[in-house]
Amino acid sequence: MRRRVELVDCDVHAQATEAMLAQYLSAPARRLLERYGRRTPRVTEWYPRARNAGMRLDAWPGKPGHIWGSDPELMRAQLLDEFGIDYAVLEVLSGQDCYDHPDFAAEWNQAINQWQLEEWLSFDPRLRGTIAVAHEYPALAVAEIERHAGDERFVAVLLPASAAEQLGSPKYWPIYEAAAAHGRPVAFHTGGYVDHRGAGYPSYYLEYHVGNGIVMQSQLASLVAGGTFDAVPGLRVVLTECGVAWAAALQWSLDAAWELMRDDHPRLERRPSEYVREHVWFTTQPIEEPDDPKQLVWAIEQAGIGERLLFATDYPHWDFDSPKQALPRAMNASLRRAILCENALALYGLPPERAVT
Amino acid sequence: MDAIDCDVHCAPESYEALFPHLNEYWRQYITEAGIRVNGMAHAYPRTIGAPAPANYPELADRVLNRGHVRFVILNCLTGFETHRNAYFAAAVASGLNDWVREEFLARDERLRASIVVSTISPEDAVAEIERVGEDRRFVQVLLPVRSDLPWGHKNNHAVFAAARERGLQVALHAWGRAGRAPTPSGFTTTYLEDYLSNQPIAQAQVLSFVSEGVFDRFPDLRVLLIECGFAWLPPLLWRFDKDWKGVWREVPWLGRRPSEYVREHFRATTAPAHLPRDPVLLDQLIEMLDGPGMLAYASDYPHEHGDGLPALLERLSDEQRRSVMWSTAAELYGLRRDPAPSRGA
Repeated sequence: MRRRVELVDCDVHAQATEAMLAQYLSAPARRLLERYGRRTPRVTEWYPRARNAGMRLDAWPGKPGHIWGSDPELMRAQLLDEFGIDYAVLEVLSGQDCYDHPDFAAEWNQAINQWQLEEWLSFDPRLRGTIAVAHEYPALAVAEIERHAGDERFVAVLLPASAAEQLGSPKYWPIYEAAAAHGRPVAFHTGGYVDHRGAGYPSYYLEYHVGNGIVMQSQLASLVAGGTFDAVPGLRVVLTECGVAWAAALQWSLDAAWELMRDDHPRLERRPSEYVREHVWFTTQPIEEPDDPKQLVWAIEQAGIGERLLFATDYPHWDFDSPKQALPRAMNASLRRAILCENALALYGLPPERAVT
Repeated sequence: MDAIDCDVHCAPESYEALFPHLNEYWRQYITEAGIRVNGMAHAYPRTIGAPAPANYPELADRVLNRGHVRFVILNCLTGFETHRNAYFAAAVASGLNDWVREEFLARDERLRASIVVSTISPEDAVAEIERVGEDRRFVQVLLPVRSDLPWGHKNNHAVFAAARERGLQVALHAWGRAGRAPTPSGFTTTYLEDYLSNQPIAQAQVLSFVSEGVFDRFPDLRVLLIECGFAWLPPLLWRFDKDWKGVWREVPWLGRRPSEYVREHFRATTAPAHLPRDPVLLDQLIEMLDGPGMLAYASDYPHEHGDGLPALLERLSDEQRRSVMWSTAAELYGLRRDPAPSRGA
């Protein structure tokens, strides 16, 4: 029997424990991990989440050796079956804030992808993967993209929203070129190496978390103004878990500033907003919630992203958006359908029907 | 229409202009190190406009005697720059305030100014506010929007306390901290990105002031965001309120929704007004902002930001226009048309 696809979740977190990934590492890398640990401190160490470590209370499997997001069976029950999700795109964040030595970084990301493949993509046909890469070492990242490019279940390349350099830096262009060459969008997920240099380090998780949307604003400005989309015309990017509603204001300011200072950007061939409207997708969660829901619809229209907005739950995080409740009633049926399903099918080239048993 | 211009720049051509207000040690230090006034004073991009007025006749000729501006708030950014020597920062701040007082404030009753303070040492900032803050021609404390530690942090509360004791408000002006990257992932490679970086940074400062409970501690404090834009406000507040509902336990001192604090305590200048061209979208934005009540007119002379302001004013009612051009700033600083203007406490 075949079912027409109706719901695609574009941001689901499978989370590996170190022990789960260690089994995929070479002996020297495993020893390094055991004796010295990751070089990367986790953001939760300096911005603790107020309750339940920032996860849904029911997302802890209670199985030995497992943590939230590590058990495919629980995820299937709580997410895919519970909400009738047809496809779910996994984003494994374990390599996002990776500033390890390149040898280790390469192995670590290989391990993430292999674990993703064996434990998840092979577990349920509704699951799709994203290729984790050692983003600070573009040659290694390209090799990892090529390793999985032949597997259609990997639908995108995963990068952090914040890295050692701005995302528009030519340093990262080889990664973007490889992704585009293999027909994969690049998903930038909130997080990574966020050094709060503009205003300084905030005190609270609340500021940090709202700030994720702010970080992405300067990254999108960098991607556009840096000439990335002229350099890699086939690049499609998915800004993930960073909010949506700011996209209009950023385009207005980019366009207005560009009008004044075109000679600062001789390589930009078009208005900045035109690049955004051609190359940039957004995921919904955590979608902004104005008191008057119609203003959210306005914000989507103002930004011109109705055809490039992708529904996401962010399972199993505390701020999970339910497919039943996240989109306001003020949204008409066709926009709702586009966000919940059609935009993702078009972007990722997913079949509009799938087999069900 | 009468107007209050909330952001006009002045800057000494060189540190020699401050020499009458600096002691021998600093005069020699400046001379021997060859310290020059940073280009910040001279506009951006350099080909747009003229340098900030360096003396009263220039200011009168180029700003005061043109148009119908009743009051002008002078903001001198010369103290924003890179110096990391806290003693130098304090000496320059004092020198600039004395210079602004003698060169400008003493010569025209239409002029008001921001107090320049050390942006390195809150203790020195407090001392400077205590030194000149009783002079009612100073209406606020000027801070750069870029900082090492967000301004709402408890380490800075003494500055706000000193300001409020004297009826002063606080302004965060774009730029500052040159030499330090403006984004979470480093330096920008073009001027345009650097210029636009002020807007995300201002958003982070808004989060800081509210989350740290600054407005619970200083209920009469108002913070004016200068040259940081404002179209980003509605989406930021939607997200801020949403997240606060989820993690309010972390900041239980907040008695209200974040957006309520922001709407009551923050104001923003109209330069730059980076707005949609389509009037329908512009009307939507004004509604999303809950009207233009948070906006205060600024020319940002001698800097240029495009033609957003006239497009905005065109969409407003007469009363709303008056509020942008006059009332928001008048209430902020306690300015009155006549008779002799005074500042409320």
